[in-house]
Amino acid sequence: MLQADAVTVEVRGRAILRDVSLALAVGERVALVGPNGAGKSTLLRALAGTLKPTAGRVLLGGVPIATLDRSEIARRLAVVPQQTALPFAMKVEEVVALGRLPHEDPLRGTRPADRAATAAAIERVGVGHLLGRDARELSLGERQLVLLALSVAQGAPVMLLDEPTVHLDLRHQVEAMELLADLNERDGTALVAVLHDLGLAAHFFPRLVVIDHGRIVADGPPATVLTDELIREVFSVEPALVRLAATATRGRA
Amino acid sequence: MDARRSAAIPRGRTLPSILLLVLVAVLAACGSGAASPSAAVTASVTASPTTNVIESPSPVAAFPVTLTDDEGTNVTIPAEPDQIVTLTNAATETVFALGLGDRVVGKVEDFSVYPPAAADVPDVAKFGSVDVEQIVAAGTDLVIAGGSNFNPPESIARLRQLGIPTVVIFAEDMPGALADIALMGTAVGRPEQAAAIQGDIQEAIDEVGAATAGLDKPRVFYELDATNGFFGPAPDYFGTEMITIAGGDPLTSGTDGVYQIEPEKILEFDPQVILLGDAAYGVTPEQVAARPGWDVLTAVKDGAIRPIDDVIVTRPGPRLGEGLRALALAIHPDLVLPGASASPAASAPPAPSAAASAAP
Amino acid sequence: MATTPHPARAPGRLAVRLRVGRLGRAGSLALAGVVTLLVVLVGGIVLGTVDLAPATTVAILAKRLAGLDLGIAWAPTAEAIVMDLRLPRVLTAMVVGTGLAVAGCTFQGLLRNPLADPYVLGTASGAALGAAVAVLIPVRTVFLEFGLLHTLAFIGALVSVTVVYRLSRTGPLSPMTSLLLTGYAVGSLLAAGLAMAMYLSGTGLRQIFSYLLGGFDGASWLRLAVAAPLILGGTIAILMRARSLNGFLLGEEAAAHLGVDVRRERAILLALASLVTAAGVAVAGLIGFVGLVIPHLVRLLVGPNARLVLPLSALFGASLLAAADVAARMLGGVPVGVVTAVIGAPFFLLLLRHARSGYEL
Repeated sequence: MLQADAVTVEVRGRAILRDVSLALAVGERVALVGPNGAGKSTLLRALAGTLKPTAGRVLLGGVPIATLDRSEIARRLAVVPQQTALPFAMKVEEVVALGRLPHEDPLRGTRPADRAATAAAIERVGVGHLLGRDARELSLGERQLVLLALSVAQGAPVMLLDEPTVHLDLRHQVEAMELLADLNERDGTALVAVLHDLGLAAHFFPRLVVIDHGRIVADGPPATVLTDELIREVFSVEPALVRLAATATRGRA
Repeated sequence: MDARRSAAIPRGRTLPSILLLVLVAVLAACGSGAASPSAAVTASVTASPTTNVIESPSPVAAFPVTLTDDEGTNVTIPAEPDQIVTLTNAATETVFALGLGDRVVGKVEDFSVYPPAAADVPDVAKFGSVDVEQIVAAGTDLVIAGGSNFNPPESIARLRQLGIPTVVIFAEDMPGALADIALMGTAVGRPEQAAAIQGDIQEAIDEVGAATAGLDKPRVFYELDATNGFFGPAPDYFGTEMITIAGGDPLTSGTDGVYQIEPEKILEFDPQVILLGDAAYGVTPEQVAARPGWDVLTAVKDGAIRPIDDVIVTRPGPRLGEGLRALALAIHPDLVLPGASASPAASAPPAPSAAASAAP
Repeated sequence: MATTPHPARAPGRLAVRLRVGRLGRAGSLALAGVVTLLVVLVGGIVLGTVDLAPATTVAILAKRLAGLDLGIAWAPTAEAIVMDLRLPRVLTAMVVGTGLAVAGCTFQGLLRNPLADPYVLGTASGAALGAAVAVLIPVRTVFLEFGLLHTLAFIGALVSVTVVYRLSRTGPLSPMTSLLLTGYAVGSLLAAGLAMAMYLSGTGLRQIFSYLLGGFDGASWLRLAVAAPLILGGTIAILMRARSLNGFLLGEEAAAHLGVDVRRERAILLALASLVTAAGVAVAGLIGFVGLVIPHLVRLLVGPNARLVLPLSALFGASLLAAADVAARMLGGVPVGVVTAVIGAPFFLLLLRHARSGYEL
């Protein structure tokens, strides 16, 4: 349902992505991994339609994403927002309610369906105990969950995440990962997540796409993809460290 | 709604053109500010009223009258005014001098009120603001306002929009001051009285001219203010011309509209006479003589530092003759002027007042 | 925790709680706003340096606006004062107050900066310089009761915003940061130009100065007829784009992901807010405080949702400025900008201390 077709992205003469092709099926969840600067975030932005590739194209539901207008894209594809400073005080429920923006009529505002979706998202993600709190006062982990709830409220069949567990402590990382897996398995939301933690990626995602220097060097189940050779070559670390975390991959292959 | 485009952002060449226009305008303004020394005014100044007034012995037949004010606006006054508002100090003095003081229902705030009876007239305006509501409420049928931004042009426009005849005056020189007196006389229906006042002033001009003919013109520094830098006459200042008529050679700032004078210029000019227009604010000749570096000035050495009543010298109203005589005597103390009143009040300043009296 | 709903709250009840909480407060605030507006309107007509009996005022209004004869006689000067001086003045102050508050809210939302006000992109400096240039030029023209000063102030405001916008497009910084910083730089340059113009202006200095301080002395029906469509039209257009403004709350990138056409909406909102500000500034000079604080006051009470903040800011901005103008008149011609600051600042501080809603600045 989301597909990158021979995407090349060049910025100021430098190729960030070279001839990348990636297909995401309905209900699939994929982790994009690779060393820093490999082009993972760039690929994600191209998939989200906010970055126009120099060559190649991205298809959303079989339609070139460049031909769709932003509202249309937002109804079918949610990108979990990066943690950012809020200029004004905002209650948690108001942050989550922003996820309904693509569905809102510009003039008529929120409808009962929107409010219901917001409430459902809050419950689904489990941040109901944070209701009424100023989003700026939450811990990083709590705020990440709130942003996740925002994307859930958006109600799109595909969700993209860029390093959602950065700055989180281990417990919250695991919580977030479990939630994502749950969203995928129970609600059928397709996921593409850029992750820097190979162990978490390998444990929670049945499909890994490894990117190095702008190219996809591996695409498949963690057990198959994470060979010793690849780990050494791409990540420059001893494979033993990674093996520990990736002993059992959760979820469908 | 998708088709809505912002119309407010000019594109392409419009923007540089607008910027160029602004730049040219600013440069033009800079250029026009350059000084042009005012021509010396000869003693025989004749006033020619710039009005098309129907001269007639009885005031009733003179209305309705249409006159052209100092801004070139044609103002029609339908009937002899009964409720007059004077928005400049000179206008207040003039209307009272024309014998119509009891018809003045509002005036501008004045820190050197003259005549004393004018103090009872309510203030409807002050520096930079005019209370249009009060003027309307008083049933005003004539307003005499000050041009050159003395009264806010907005307020003048408002009054006219509300149908109140408003005559704008501003006198840049002696002929202008005399013309304004005639203009005001016509506006209130007292042209003969105005002509009489003009005659008095002209008499003083002729008298002073005759008395100072052939005399050397001493260099005069007319001090307006010295609290924070030195302020003296600009070339286009009314007082500058007065000094010239009174037989003096005035120091000016060199630039029209600029009143600040650098101390070095004063020292270089080396005034022979220093007149203290700010004497009303407590500045004394002793203070001036004690200023560091000023002891080299001729005026200080000769003790020629004299206080003067700034109001009568620079207010273009009916007391100009008195002011001119006082000024001439201050510059040439040995002058004999038959018309000058013997009272020393002519040259001494009035009681100190709290704030500056702007005196167009 | 992530997989089962919290036992105490079912989604349905939660949804209801969400709804009642917001609308209740916003609704009562809107009501308060309308009432305040009416009170200020009446006050602005009844009060002034000339004493008019309230009954007379009501009678005049009834006759002129509704054709009713209330059997009270009045002098023609009273009618002129009410209909030609006070009424257009109060309405002009309201219109300008609306525009400034809405423009301030828009800039704050777009630039994601709580310290932004309508003048942040150089509009004030541009308008002031335009006005100063007009005073220097020895030409007197009047068009629709607007003099050269107002026209050049309007043009100056728009030109400076355009210059800032264009200059900020190039460069490595994020668009909004670039916009903010360029606005500061251009504003400083224009302020220098203004200082020079003021130095050269001679007697015109008074006029420039009184323009800078802002005021409604020149308010008239014709001016209102020209300015109101611009300001109110722009305001309504902004109100209709509240959804986009909400999108910007989490940043431009998040806005794009939420379906906002960032480039287009940013340009349109900036243009509308600048137009409204320029028109307000051309009519009333530079009046500060309204555009900065009213949106914050409203947010303290109803949160940052632009769908609520924009219209409520419009209401309260109108009331504040009209009230300030009445006070300025009664105090003998004090500049309006001084009054808005003196009324608004302590009130704002008080509210900050006692905010009970959990919102902070």
